Amino acid sequence: MSAHISIPMYQRAVPQRYRLTGKLCKSCGKINFPPKAVCKYCLQGASFEDVRLSGRGAVYSYTVIAGGGAPPEFETEARCKGSYPVLIVELEEGPRVITQMVNPPEEGIAIGMSVQAVFRKIYEEEGVIRYGFKFSPA
Amino acid sequence: MENVAIIGAGQTKYGDFPGMGVKELFAEAYLEMLQSVDRGLEQQRIGAAYIGSLSAGSGFQLGQLAPLLMGHVGLPHVNAVRIENACASGGYALYNAACAVASGKFDMVLAAGVEKMRDVSSNKGRYWLGVSGDTEYERLAGSTFAGIYALMASRYMHEYGLKREHLSMVAAKNHCHAVANPKAQFRKEITIEQAMQGVPVAHPFNVWDCSPTSDGAAVVLLCNAKIAKEFTNKPVYLKGFGAASDYLAIHDRDSMTRLLATRRAATEAYKQAGVGPEDINFAEVHDCFTIAEILAYGDLGFAEEGLAQYLLEEGFTRADGKLPVNASGGLKAKGHPIGATGCGMASEVFKQLRDEAQEPSRQIKNARYALSHNVGGSGGTAAVFIYQRGDA
Amino acid sequence: MTKSIISCGVYLPYLRIKRDEYLSALGRCSAGMREKTVLDIDEDVITMAVEASRVALAGIDVSRVGVVTVASTGFPYQEKAQAGTLVEALGLEKNVLTAQHSNSTVSGTESLLTALSLLDQTEQPYALVVVSDAPVSGPDVDLEHGFGAAACAFVLAKDEPGLVFEGVYAQSGEAMGLRYRLPGETDIRDIGVKTFAMLDYNETVKGAVTGLANKLGRNLTDYRHVVLHQADAKSATALAKKMGCTDEQIKEGVVYPYTGDTGACSSLLGLCRVLESACAGDCILISSHGSGSGSQALSFCLETPVPKSVVFEAVLGYKRYISYIQYLKQKRSI
Repeated sequence: MSAHISIPMYQRAVPQRYRLTGKLCKSCGKINFPPKAVCKYCLQGASFEDVRLSGRGAVYSYTVIAGGGAPPEFETEARCKGSYPVLIVELEEGPRVITQMVNPPEEGIAIGMSVQAVFRKIYEEEGVIRYGFKFSPA
Repeated sequence: MENVAIIGAGQTKYGDFPGMGVKELFAEAYLEMLQSVDRGLEQQRIGAAYIGSLSAGSGFQLGQLAPLLMGHVGLPHVNAVRIENACASGGYALYNAACAVASGKFDMVLAAGVEKMRDVSSNKGRYWLGVSGDTEYERLAGSTFAGIYALMASRYMHEYGLKREHLSMVAAKNHCHAVANPKAQFRKEITIEQAMQGVPVAHPFNVWDCSPTSDGAAVVLLCNAKIAKEFTNKPVYLKGFGAASDYLAIHDRDSMTRLLATRRAATEAYKQAGVGPEDINFAEVHDCFTIAEILAYGDLGFAEEGLAQYLLEEGFTRADGKLPVNASGGLKAKGHPIGATGCGMASEVFKQLRDEAQEPSRQIKNARYALSHNVGGSGGTAAVFIYQRGDA
Repeated sequence: MTKSIISCGVYLPYLRIKRDEYLSALGRCSAGMREKTVLDIDEDVITMAVEASRVALAGIDVSRVGVVTVASTGFPYQEKAQAGTLVEALGLEKNVLTAQHSNSTVSGTESLLTALSLLDQTEQPYALVVVSDAPVSGPDVDLEHGFGAAACAFVLAKDEPGLVFEGVYAQSGEAMGLRYRLPGETDIRDIGVKTFAMLDYNETVKGAVTGLANKLGRNLTDYRHVVLHQADAKSATALAKKMGCTDEQIKEGVVYPYTGDTGACSSLLGLCRVLESACAGDCILISSHGSGSGSQALSFCLETPVPKSVVFEAVLGYKRYISYIQYLKQKRSI
C-alpha cells in the first residue's frame, strides 16, 4: 500500500522532479516552485516562464524519520538505513522545497548548512521507478 | 445573524474498541447527547446534521457516510452531510452547523464527528495518515505527518531556543490531566523525564510527543439561542466561531513557527464573540504533536510567538494554573479519533461550563469563557470556537 | 572534421566497502581491490548516469547537444528507452538522436563510437556519451566480490579543441561460458575457469590494441597512457607489461583498486583519471573488453587539456565506509 500518486500524475511533474523547473511570474518576477496556477507571491500573475533552478540551497529545517514510522512506500529504504532525514531547503532562487537528504554528515545536520540537489530514485510502485530530486550536503 | 447555543453534547470514551464500528460509536455518542438535553428532545426537531470524518469508517463508507449514520439513529430523512478537513473535520462540522443555525435557516442542527482508526493494519494506517498534507510533495519526500510537525519543531527550536524539554512538558502536563478524565484514552501520569526518553519517531519527536490513533465519536446539538431555554437552564452559548485555511504544503508557507489558519480563525472568532485571549478561562487546543500546543499558544494570543515555552515553565496552562489548556488530556492523552476531535472538544467545554465534568477533581471552577481549537493536518485548515456559559 | 572529447564527468557512489570487510565477514575475498564503490538503496545506473552527465555538461549549452548515447550492462528496465530519462533530467532537446548499448562490458566504448558516428547526422555540435554500470550477482558468487559501481560521461564535439579521437580497432569472436546472464536473471555468473578466461582476455584485448597501433602506424611506446579494461586487480597490468608498456604508461589509468569492477565503465573511468594530468600532445590508448567476447581499442591525442570541473581524486575521497552487513542491506540481500 503506497501513496496514490498515479503514474500519469507523477509524469506531469517530471520537469519539477527531474530538473527543478520553476515558474517565473511574468507579473512580479518571482519564482514559484512547485508551480501554481496563480503566482503565490503577487496573487495576480497567471502567466509564467520556465526557469531551471540551480539546485543550490540551505537547510531551513530538518527532521529524521525513524524507520518504524516511515510511509509504506519508503519502508525498504527505512529498513536499509534505519532512518532517513527529511529537509525543508530554501533554494538560492527563493522557493522552499521539502526533500529527502542523502549522505547526511556524520556530525549531524544543521539548519543553515549548504545543500545541493541530486537525482535519485524516490520509490517504486507498480514496478515503475519514480525518479526525482533529493538533496545532499554541498 | 441569529445567536447559537449548545444544549446537548455527548461522546464515547476514546480508545481502542474492537467491538464497535463507526455506526456503534456514533450511536453511543448520539444517545449520550440525547440524555444530556435536560428537558428531553423530540428528535424530529433536528433540521440538519453535519458529520466530520476523514476515513469514513476506515474507508468502508467513503460515499454518503452521513445518511448511513443518521439512519442508524432513527433520523433517516434529516438533511445530512459528511464534512472532511482531515483532523479538523469535526471542527468544521461544528462550524458549518453553527453557520446553519446563525443563518436562521435551521433552529436545531447536529454537529458530529466519528473516526474508526484501530481497525486497520499498521501499514494501511500509515498510508492514510500521511495523505492529508500535500501528498504529491510532502509524502513523496518520505515525510510522515509527524515529520511535518517535527520540521516545525526543529525550526521553532532554532529560532526561539525552544528546548526538547519544553516539548516533554506538554506531554507530561496533558497526560497528567487525562488521569481524571473518564473519556480519555491514556489515564496514566508520565514524568517529563519519561516523556523525553520515548522511542524516536521523527527528530526531535519521540513517541510521547505524538497523539495516538483512536476510535471515538462525539455529537453536539446546536440550536437558535432564542429557543435554548426550552431545553435547559444551562445552555452554553457559541459566541464566536472562525475558520480559515492556509497553503496545504508546509514549504509554501512563509513561517513554520505559526499557523496562519489558526491566527485568522482566532481573529474571526474573538471578533464575533467580542472578547480577547485575556478573557478566556480555559482552552482545549489541538495538540496532535507537542509542538502544536506550543504553536497554539502563540497563534491564539495566549503568548507572544517565541515565548510560548515560558507559559509551560510557569505552569500557567496546567489544570491548576491561570489558563488551563487541555484539561481533558488533549489529543495527546485524551486521544485523537480524527473526525471526532473537534466535536469532542466542544463536548468537553459544554460539560465544563455546566459544571458537569464528572470527576469533581477535574472541574474547572468559575469559568465564564472557554475556547476550542481544531487544526486540519499541519495547518491547512483550522477552526476556533469561543463559548460562554449560559446559566449566569 | 575532427571529433574530440571536450569535457568529462565522473560519478562514484558515496558508499564504499573495504576488502577487509569481506575478509572479516567471510574469511576470504576473491577480488583484489582495496575497496569498492557501493550503490545506495536509492541509486541505480540511471541516477549515476544523470550525476556524471551533469558534471560533464557543466558550462555547456545543453540545447546544442544533438546526440545522446548511453551504455550499461544492467539497465533498470529490460525494455524501455532509457535515454529519455536522461533527456528530461538534463533538460536536453527532445529531438536528440539516441542510442543505447547493453548486454556486455564492451558497450561503454560501443556507445562512444556510436556517438562519434551519430554526430554526422545532426546539425548540433555536441554529443553526450554516458556509461554507467553496477554489475550484480549474489553474495555467494565469487565474481560478486569485486563488483563496484560508477558512471562516466563525455561530451564530444565537432571541430573543437580537446582530446581528439584518432581511430579504433576491434576484435570479436566466440568465447563461451565467461561471465553471462540469461534472460530474466539479475545475477551474473560464469563457469569459473580462470585460466580459460584469462586466455580470452589476453588474446582479445591484445588483438585490438596491437591492431590499432599497426593501423595508425604507431608503437605502444608512443602512448603516454595505456588504459585496459580492468575486471580484476592484475590482468590489465600484466597484459600491458607483456605488450611492452612501462609502469609509467599503466599506473595512472588503474582505477580498480578504488572502485572494484565497474563493468562497461572500466577503461573509460581510467581515461577520465589520466586526463587530469595529461598534457597537450599526449597520446592515450584505451581498450575495453566484453566477455563472449570482444574488445575495442581507441586512440586519442590531446590537443588541449580537457577542463576539469570536478577533480577525480576528490571524487575518490568523498566516501563513507560501510560494514558487510550494511552492504548486504544495500544490495537488498537482507
